[in-house]
Amino acid sequence: MISAAALRARVGAFSLEDVSFDVPGGAYGVVIGPTGSGKTTLLEVISGLLPQTGGLLTLNGRDATREAADARGIGLVYQLGFLFPHLSVEQNVMYGATDAALANTIARRFGVDALYARSVRSLSGGERQLVALARALARRPEILLLDEPFSALDPPRRAAARREVRAIHREWGLTTLHVTHDFAEAGSLGDVAVLLDAGRVLQSGEPADVFRHPKTPYVAEFLGAENIFAGGVTIEDGAAVFHSGRLAIHVAGAATAGPCHAIIRAEEILIARTSPAPSSARNQFEGAVTEIASVGPLWRVTIEVNGATLVAALTTYSANELALRIGDTAFFTFKATAVHLC
Amino acid sequence: MRRSNAIGVGAAAASSLLLLFLVLPVVRLVAAAGPQGAARLWSDAELRQSLALTALTATAATLLAALGGAPLAWLLARRAFRGRALVAAVLDLPLLIPHPVAGIALLLLLGRGSAIGSSLLSLGLRIVGTPLGIIAAMLFVSAPLFVSGAREAFARVDVRLEGVARTLGDSPWRAFRRVTLPLAARGLIASGVVTWARAVSEFGAIVILAYNPKVVSVLAYDRFTGFGLSEALPVAAALVVLSLIPLTALRALRMGDERAVA
Repeated sequence: MISAAALRARVGAFSLEDVSFDVPGGAYGVVIGPTGSGKTTLLEVISGLLPQTGGLLTLNGRDATREAADARGIGLVYQLGFLFPHLSVEQNVMYGATDAALANTIARRFGVDALYARSVRSLSGGERQLVALARALARRPEILLLDEPFSALDPPRRAAARREVRAIHREWGLTTLHVTHDFAEAGSLGDVAVLLDAGRVLQSGEPADVFRHPKTPYVAEFLGAENIFAGGVTIEDGAAVFHSGRLAIHVAGAATAGPCHAIIRAEEILIARTSPAPSSARNQFEGAVTEIASVGPLWRVTIEVNGATLVAALTTYSANELALRIGDTAFFTFKATAVHLC
Repeated sequence: MRRSNAIGVGAAAASSLLLLFLVLPVVRLVAAAGPQGAARLWSDAELRQSLALTALTATAATLLAALGGAPLAWLLARRAFRGRALVAAVLDLPLLIPHPVAGIALLLLLGRGSAIGSSLLSLGLRIVGTPLGIIAAMLFVSAPLFVSGAREAFARVDVRLEGVARTLGDSPWRAFRRVTLPLAARGLIASGVVTWARAVSEFGAIVILAYNPKVVSVLAYDRFTGFGLSEALPVAAALVVLSLIPLTALRALRMGDERAVA
């Protein structure tokens, strides 16, 4: 278990301020944040390599605030690996290991045993990351801290390494905290997501909850939400309606009147070429397509509606079937429950 | 294009002139007196003793510089403490002041008239006019070079490597011994070689503090003033050869470094 309460630390001009979050014992926590947000600093403070200047850090139920780095039972994997260049791959893996058989098993699971005789200097960036993972796990730590540990791996090896880390996490009940820029990775791996920016926690909780219910427009934007509107809610005939300029969006639940932001994730919006039949979806908009772009496996279609732009995401298959072009008329539909207010 | 060629030719010409100026006197000296110097090694007992004394005292000064300098270099490379800039400035001092002045300063501090000198004398340790005085003079002028080189060697070891070692169960000392020291070793040895070479070539401070027994640089000066150039030449050539030993070792180390990086 990792519990940070109002944790503070300072490195030069940068500081972590009142960082609080909990990763329960055996859970997989994910720290997401832009470059320079303090993610690596946070891991270094938790591992005892940087001193904390305030707050309380509890690891597996014990106060670790003043505990030395070598007594914390933490395995730390940096993005660049930081393998010991004067040692072979095997010596690196065995460096902190207390059980050679376990270390060899871990090395085999990550395919690192085949690199044993190699010099560290001859390894690729991806191989270095795998060796660093094996080295940290070979010691069987109580807590694993990962700083973008798969970033230099090609997609197939990244998926395999991710599976292996997840499997070891489950087998050992290993409390893990993983720093990543990859939202998909955060969503697929994490039990707890911690969103960090400028040394502060903006939001933490279950990844699905953080993604669907961002607390601020900034968090929503950072998490990839594309439809963010500033405006206000009014109550009309007992129903809540959000207005942003000439755009009116029906909102579900007990929304209260007043200024706020509305957020609709692009994946929540349905697209049709013709006016859809009446349905339970309260929000239907007709507009001209202004942009069509491919983003990885998805397509983004933008339409202009009442002076505002709405973006919807669809699969390549759907995009081919709809065969939309710039200037075409398209119909966007989404339920009132797809609208998140903050 | 023509302009850049002209700059290249100009730079090459200026560099060649400087290199010739640095190399020619040494080559001329060794060519003129090298064989004679080598022959004197058999026949000239004073020269042999002087060479041995120079090598021994330089080695002792280097070991002392390493013993006190390595921890100081580590502190300067790794710890931010109040007065660090002042310590760095103090370390530059022996490099800036003329070496005879350094000798006079040491004489004031360690001479029999001083508190320290008389205390050491009462313990049976005479500094002035003994190998201890030679070591003191060599240490004063060469130790800053060791600290400077060692500081750079420690600074080049990424602190995160030590951090990883700590998370893998190493105490600070164990991480230093298993990671920092092996990675800084080449730099530390190179610093030791430079320190030794500087100690061997020292004259100004030694001649004030311990004219006798004579190290090679003092012997060369003594022969020159007492017997003329022809007697000084073989001694000077022997000193050059002695100085070439660390230079060659340093080159070998750096070549090893370059291979390791490649």
